[in-house]
Amino acid sequence: MTSTLNRRGFLQTTAAATLGAGLLPGIARAQGEPLGVALIVPSPFGDVGWSHALAAALEPIKAEYGDRIKVTKLENIPEGPDADRIMNKAVADGNKFLIAGSFGYQNGAMQVARRNPDVSVLHASGFMVAPNFTPFAARNYQGTYLMGMAAAAVSKTGKLGSVSAFAIPELVSSINAFVLGAQAVNPDVEVSVVWVNSWFDPAKEQEAARALLSQGCDVIYSNAQDTPSVVSVCEEAGAYVFNLNSSMVKYAPTKYLGCVATDWTPFFLQSIKAHLDGSFEGHTAYLGLAEGVIKPMDWNADIPADVMTRITETQAQLADGSFHVFTGPIARQDGREAVAEGAALGDEDIVAMDWHVAGVTTPLPN
Amino acid sequence: MIGLSFILAGMLAAAMPFLLAALGELVAERSGVLNLGIEGMMALGAVTGFVITFHGGGHAAGFLGAGLAGAALSLIFAWLALSLRANQVAVGLAIGILGQGLSALFGKSYESMTVAGLPKLHLPVLSDLPVVGGVFVQDIVVWLGMAATLAIWAVLRLTKLGLIIRAVGENPAAARALGYPVIAIRYGAVMFGGLMAGLAGAYAATVYTPLWADGMIAGRGWIALALVVFATWMVGRVFFGAILFGAVSLAQLAAQAGGVNLNSQLLASLPYIVTIVVLGLISSNKRLLKMNGVASLGEPFGP
Repeated sequence: MTSTLNRRGFLQTTAAATLGAGLLPGIARAQGEPLGVALIVPSPFGDVGWSHALAAALEPIKAEYGDRIKVTKLENIPEGPDADRIMNKAVADGNKFLIAGSFGYQNGAMQVARRNPDVSVLHASGFMVAPNFTPFAARNYQGTYLMGMAAAAVSKTGKLGSVSAFAIPELVSSINAFVLGAQAVNPDVEVSVVWVNSWFDPAKEQEAARALLSQGCDVIYSNAQDTPSVVSVCEEAGAYVFNLNSSMVKYAPTKYLGCVATDWTPFFLQSIKAHLDGSFEGHTAYLGLAEGVIKPMDWNADIPADVMTRITETQAQLADGSFHVFTGPIARQDGREAVAEGAALGDEDIVAMDWHVAGVTTPLPN
Repeated sequence: MIGLSFILAGMLAAAMPFLLAALGELVAERSGVLNLGIEGMMALGAVTGFVITFHGGGHAAGFLGAGLAGAALSLIFAWLALSLRANQVAVGLAIGILGQGLSALFGKSYESMTVAGLPKLHLPVLSDLPVVGGVFVQDIVVWLGMAATLAIWAVLRLTKLGLIIRAVGENPAAARALGYPVIAIRYGAVMFGGLMAGLAGAYAATVYTPLWADGMIAGRGWIALALVVFATWMVGRVFFGAILFGAVSLAQLAAQAGGVNLNSQLLASLPYIVTIVVLGLISSNKRLLKMNGVASLGEPFGP
């Protein structure tokens, strides 16, 4: 089951934390040793991408807490026994707050949490929950819906493409939202998806982007890639491109459509604060525009003004909950009804999405 | 068909990292040395080439530095495997891992940075042909790679040096009895292999995908190794196999982009399946296989 953060409570605590650095409840505890925060990620931090976004989110927190927290960043840790060993060592070294930045760390991180009840763990994209273990994920689909609107508006061919890593629900739902957003502006768009079946292979990603461009796609969605491979090849070929996590505008100064950026700072800040005042409670944190975690940015100036206005309005509606991306009627690729008229998909259906909406030309791998 | 011209235009460049690395390995194996460290030598070459190009050294200097870096790493391998007569498989694996580690270390501050690639050269008439015209729009390295293929074939097949290299791989004791410095020749062949692997890495990081990312070689060194075996140590077949692999890799992506109703995991495995089946079929002649196999491959030789 999925439950989201209580938004009002969240805003209050965040505001309190942001406003009153001197009034933080953690202060009493922090008088002794600083709180050790360890972040472990599967890829290099780099300048862009998923791992970069996680690491960058800790910077404002470091600035705010000063020497009351001590951040340890561990990059390029392969999932498996290595990660388990390194997480155990991080905790043995005195870190009491662990951020496990990849799905594959789940079992190891959960073991650490069970063995050390005084340690709080945040785990990316998982499904397991414990009193001191919170899985977190971003509602990327909210941002890709907005990007879809922009993509349909700037596309001349009406053909959009996506270079995607693996056909897992998180990526599938973000592609579906992209299609739905595009259809809201131009109902006739076609979307092709190329699965490279690899989390990390810049050369193959570029080949996939070129394959899409050769089919006439003129807007490319670079889906969950940590390198600028797709973005730079699109700039070179004169096709619009956008990506998730962190901005790559410097790799495509003219053709960068925008970025569905993730800013984990509010969530990390709130969780660290909760840990310090002893109120940390494991729950499923599915975070989006409302929590300020999803942040669309760097919109291209080529997006027509009227569409940009619609995008801004839609973004506000998604944030305040008056509009939901997966609101019926939505048809599946094969024409069957996916969501009935007037109904909206629940979080548990979104996180398990294994079907494409109508408008996607590529069949979904099983 | 849009897909076809896309595949034809891209297959030579896609094949280049495999081709260069595999040709180098072929020469090393022909002399009787199995170097499993190709992946690491490619990675080290990739980062060296990238860093030099990034700092304005130009592509030529980048390739040169990459080749030297690959050769230097293979020198360590050669010293351990040939002079100290350590197990070639174990040393090759270790050196490969060392190369990947070094590449991550040197590339640390260049993560996700990009450089400009090389321009594609248009040939008169040929490049303007319909459908196949794309084959003749390539960067200079592709043409140099073709020339290198031909040169390596000619050296191995037609020259005395080639005969000596092959003799050393076939029967090192006999070669020594004839007065050839077996170990020195093997050193040379291994370092040539390292040089080519370095060039292959530079091509991957400064021309084909002009960016640096740790781990970007992504197993291509292993594919090059496999190509050498499936091509039964023959230059022509390595060339053909590399291009076939490149073409099918692009074809599966084009098929997905075009909405072909086939499972993408199956499509993704096609390059491997097709290359193995095709090279397996042409290499199925037992007599030829026995003739081409390198008799002393992987065996240490010494007094």
